[in-house]
Amino acid sequence: MDHEQSKNLQLEQNQKERPMSLIMKVVITGFFGGAFWSLLGYFAYTFHFTELSPNMILLPWAVGDWKYGRLGNFLSIFLIGILSILVALVYYTFFKNMKSIWAGVVYGVALWALIFFVFNPLFPNLQSVAELNRDTTITTICLYILYGVFIGYSISFEAAEHERQKQLTAINE
Amino acid sequence: MTIKQKNHIPISQKLSDNEQFFKEKIGVGTSFDLGIRKLKVLNKEVHIYYCNGLCDTQFIIELLKEIIDINDSERQRAQAKQIIENRLVHQQVNPVANLDEAVDQLLSGLIVILIEGESNGFIVDVRSYPGRQPQEPDTEKVVRGARDGYVENIIVNTALTRRRIRDERLRYEIIQVGERSKTDICIAYIKDVADPGLVELVRKELKAIKIDGLTMADKTIEEFLVKQGYNPYPLVRYTERPDVAATHLLEGHVIIMVDTSPSVIITPTTFFHHVQHAEEYRQSPAIGTFVRWVRFIGIFVSIFLLPLWYLFVIEPSLLPEKLSYIGPNEKTNIPTIVQLFIADIGVEFLRMAAIHTPTPLSTAMGLIAAVLIGEIAINVGLFVPEVILYISVSAIGSFATPSYELSIANKIARLFLLLAVAFFKVPGFIIGVTIYILLLVQIRSLNTPYLWPFIPFNPSAFLQILVRRSVPGSKVRPSIVHPQNRQKQPT
Repeated sequence: MDHEQSKNLQLEQNQKERPMSLIMKVVITGFFGGAFWSLLGYFAYTFHFTELSPNMILLPWAVGDWKYGRLGNFLSIFLIGILSILVALVYYTFFKNMKSIWAGVVYGVALWALIFFVFNPLFPNLQSVAELNRDTTITTICLYILYGVFIGYSISFEAAEHERQKQLTAINE
Repeated sequence: MTIKQKNHIPISQKLSDNEQFFKEKIGVGTSFDLGIRKLKVLNKEVHIYYCNGLCDTQFIIELLKEIIDINDSERQRAQAKQIIENRLVHQQVNPVANLDEAVDQLLSGLIVILIEGESNGFIVDVRSYPGRQPQEPDTEKVVRGARDGYVENIIVNTALTRRRIRDERLRYEIIQVGERSKTDICIAYIKDVADPGLVELVRKELKAIKIDGLTMADKTIEEFLVKQGYNPYPLVRYTERPDVAATHLLEGHVIIMVDTSPSVIITPTTFFHHVQHAEEYRQSPAIGTFVRWVRFIGIFVSIFLLPLWYLFVIEPSLLPEKLSYIGPNEKTNIPTIVQLFIADIGVEFLRMAAIHTPTPLSTAMGLIAAVLIGEIAINVGLFVPEVILYISVSAIGSFATPSYELSIANKIARLFLLLAVAFFKVPGFIIGVTIYILLLVQIRSLNTPYLWPFIPFNPSAFLQILVRRSVPGSKVRPSIVHPQNRQKQPT
């Protein structure tokens, strides 16, 4: 009986739990970070802390009126999550050795500047930064800072842990 | 200079010299709880020193009977010392060569036996400390499960833990801290699981403590260990439950037990260690997850509800159409922010008073609080009903926080956010929350990021926080403690 049970792979205790690879963690961190913070952005939009809602990224495309509604926003949150994987991979490639959380803060502010100044013409509904109201500017900057810290600190920390693990196994062998 | 010399006073062969030392150094004869019993065995003087409150008289009587019996049944006078050692019917008998060690042991409740003409004495462990029996800790009750809790005696505490982990690799290292109090501190860990770096760090920090006494036991140790400063957030987790401590040992945590305290320190700790409770693991995974989520909502509410509501009161235009009924309908005499602060501090009065009020009086106090303050403050026009509602909800939210320390820290955060909203409205709230989160992110307790596994994000560990996994399904130890052995279940 015991023997049979130990072979039964359906049982929870007999499934293997594989350690995730570093790059997989980066991808998941990117997706979760994008989705989570844009969800908070949607919440902030609902309570009028900001005039911009996540569906900002859908607006340039003519996909129909549903893009203004709840469906459009949730789809946008999902899309931002996907885009955010790219953001995470960029951080991973260039800055993963920065240990301080300030690296994340700067990364977030830089992203904000990139989107609101450089990519501004891509979004037809986005006024220039000078025309945005004060609350919107502050709320979006804060969201980007938190998002940047989330992405930056997580990836730097995981990379350092990974390095540590590698050194340990090297010592043991 | 004198300290060094004193540390090496050997036991004199003349018992009167030793007696003189005990009289001068620790006040035998002055302090009433220290005593000396003089016997004559095989024509040699034997002195027995004791500390009467800390040793068990029954044991000593047994030992004395046996020693006196020597006079009737033994002849070989030359071997008095060996004979006496043989006749000390106890498993913990140690020879001692210098008086200072003897003093230390005597004051811990052991008896010291000195023999005329010998430069070695014996120490017998007949300790029996006043203390209570293990009982369920008030702060960590569960519906089902073990009802024993740690007590003030470190030996009982190590035994309660050992009962749960019979592993030969469980280590209890003991060190003494405190120049005067000489408090025993035990570092517990499992040798092939816990991170040796962490054990070394804890050991080093504990040994570096220079203080006269540890009357507040574990709390004092914590302040030396994590160097908290004025950060209100708890950097270590306390537990009074041996099953919780044993679980953490198995996960690779290092536990610090301090004598005279019924709570033990779990290191390293993150924010999310403070929001879990043994009860979740005594229920099925689905119920445990549900309980945990409700608790998360409570904690979240206790921090953010009041500032958010107050923001909507001063700027009703923020509310979406459907929620526009929120906010007081009637005009009040006192600004809302002042009401909030008065009410919140009132709740704090109650909480503090409840800690040291005897139970019969606290019932009366609750009545006064509920009826008089709640009802009448509204009738008089002091408070709006909504203020009472939101204050109560956030107060109950903080009572739902399993860690007492965390709930108070959250309260302080809430008051700061309220102030930020009062001064700067929407920007105050947004920037306040951002700074609050950043402050939590940058805290490190014993090199562990405080908000792990949220920031820095660890997908599988975060899932473990959100969902209480079934025990057969959670197979790996949390990576944050750097366990030497990742797999929980041997294959």
